[in-house]
Amino acid sequence: MSSLELFAIAPQLILSLAIVLQLLLIAVKRSTALIQYFTAISIVIAAGATPLVLPAVNTQSTILFYLDGFSIGVNLLIFLSAVIVCLISGRYLAISQEVHDEYYVLLLLVVLGASLVSIANHFASVFLGLELLSIALIGMVGYLRSRTQSLEAGFKYLILSATASSVLLFGMAMIYGFSGDMHFNYVSLSYTGAVNEQMRLLFSAGSVLLIAGIAFKLSLVPFHFWTPDVYQGAPAPVSMLLATVSKTAMFAVLVKFWFFAQLYANEQLMLIITVIAFASMLVGNLLALQQTNIKRLLAYSSIAHMGYLLVTLKVLAASSTQLAWESALFYLLTYCLANLLIFTFICQTSKANAGVDNDDWQHWRGLFWQSPVQASALIFALLSLAGIPLTAGFIGKFYLLTTAVDNGSWRLLASLVAGSGIGLYYYLRIIFVMFANANVQQALPLTRLSQALIVSLSLLILVFGILPDIISAEVRLFALSNFG
Amino acid sequence: MSHIPLSHAFILAGILFVIGFIGVIARRNTLFMLMSLEVMLNSVGIAFIAAGSAWQEADGQIMFILILTLAAAEVAVGLALLIRLQQQRQSLDIDELSDMRG
Repeated sequence: MSSLELFAIAPQLILSLAIVLQLLLIAVKRSTALIQYFTAISIVIAAGATPLVLPAVNTQSTILFYLDGFSIGVNLLIFLSAVIVCLISGRYLAISQEVHDEYYVLLLLVVLGASLVSIANHFASVFLGLELLSIALIGMVGYLRSRTQSLEAGFKYLILSATASSVLLFGMAMIYGFSGDMHFNYVSLSYTGAVNEQMRLLFSAGSVLLIAGIAFKLSLVPFHFWTPDVYQGAPAPVSMLLATVSKTAMFAVLVKFWFFAQLYANEQLMLIITVIAFASMLVGNLLALQQTNIKRLLAYSSIAHMGYLLVTLKVLAASSTQLAWESALFYLLTYCLANLLIFTFICQTSKANAGVDNDDWQHWRGLFWQSPVQASALIFALLSLAGIPLTAGFIGKFYLLTTAVDNGSWRLLASLVAGSGIGLYYYLRIIFVMFANANVQQALPLTRLSQALIVSLSLLILVFGILPDIISAEVRLFALSNFG
Repeated sequence: MSHIPLSHAFILAGILFVIGFIGVIARRNTLFMLMSLEVMLNSVGIAFIAAGSAWQEADGQIMFILILTLAAAEVAVGLALLIRLQQQRQSLDIDELSDMRG
């Protein structure tokens, strides 16, 4: 193993070391503040190792991992989200003398799993990373053990995520039986070589199962049933982690497998993806219309957003994959920023010892007149999710539209536009509630840290919306240096 | 010793997988749901071992060991949640445990 290969997985090595150190730290001194800062700092160090990683772009590190620009971009996104989750968890969990060490250990395990999955290039590493991510997340979803909703959500997530894993694994077994290799990029090679009709059937069935398993984790229609319950029942910082880290990592796996194995050349699979994308955009947006619970609403909106992202999977030729990688990365960035902002607000106005989080939209009534800064920040995030110009979300949608036009996927384009139209209704409805003139029931105190986070995230959303050039060059650079 | 074709092994694994899947969906007792999950995971194990032996490689068996580890971890977490739920609600019926709707 050369030093270049070691550098390629440096952030993951740092995270693994940090988890061991965390456990030692707990043995030496149990203190919530100490372990929280330790966790935040180790994630920052892992993110800071990126300059080390950069020379190793396009390196195959052992047979399990392949580091390309896209995975570095996704990793940075994961680390950013995780640091914010870590920073805001402190106040949310500060309810009694109990020391929440396990929570931070689980958090780092989730981050490690997510970043492993995003550089994986082999079924075994996908499987291991995915399970590290899922099992640690189950623990976090059910973390508030005295809250009935949290336990219920944890159990539902356990059953459905285990089912999804077995479906995914069965797909992997079939593809392995067909190709005799578990690397992503050998799969396509053996497909062109296979002449036996039975073997091709094995491959198609395997790919469908694999995609179904990933769709479960991405909560795409028709595998979306768990999403609203788990989002609502999980503690707010954990919902935030589910919405950002877990979704980003899973989408990275899907994109990498899809493009490396050149599945876009397969007509039937393309049809399945088109149907899933179409259904997710419409069902996600339509079901979100009736929601009055903000966490459930964000769950349904995430279904729709994952549907939008699937647009990037439809490419006609290998030459247009470049734009697809780029759009996917930029859209993930804008989606994460908006979700982070809204969830930061929910986390900071909720407490772990309450029966539920502060996620009923009636609590947001008249928020604008009470605290204009926070309300404006939330409005920017909602507008960004809706894809209104001058916010980052618009540029993200614009990327998706360009990709769709470039590849002539008119049906997906039409449903993207229709879905965004429906989406506008419920995002604007929350904004109207915030402007409503009503007596405010309770003050919502925020710490300086979360104020600063909310304001800076909203500034990022605005800046990326008005001057996308400052980030789009980086995004292109990351996307350009992919496989090949 | 006669040779077993790969397709037969996959058919067996597929049948077991479907049995497990139906168990997860149709059973109302959470303990049986966890057991059905085990059946699903083990059927995948059979598929991997069959594929590995068809290609004369050890990869399939390694995946099976990884799957076993996963199954153990999942059941450990699942049983812990189950005990907690039982203490809170005095029931293991998934319909009675489900509060959230909408």
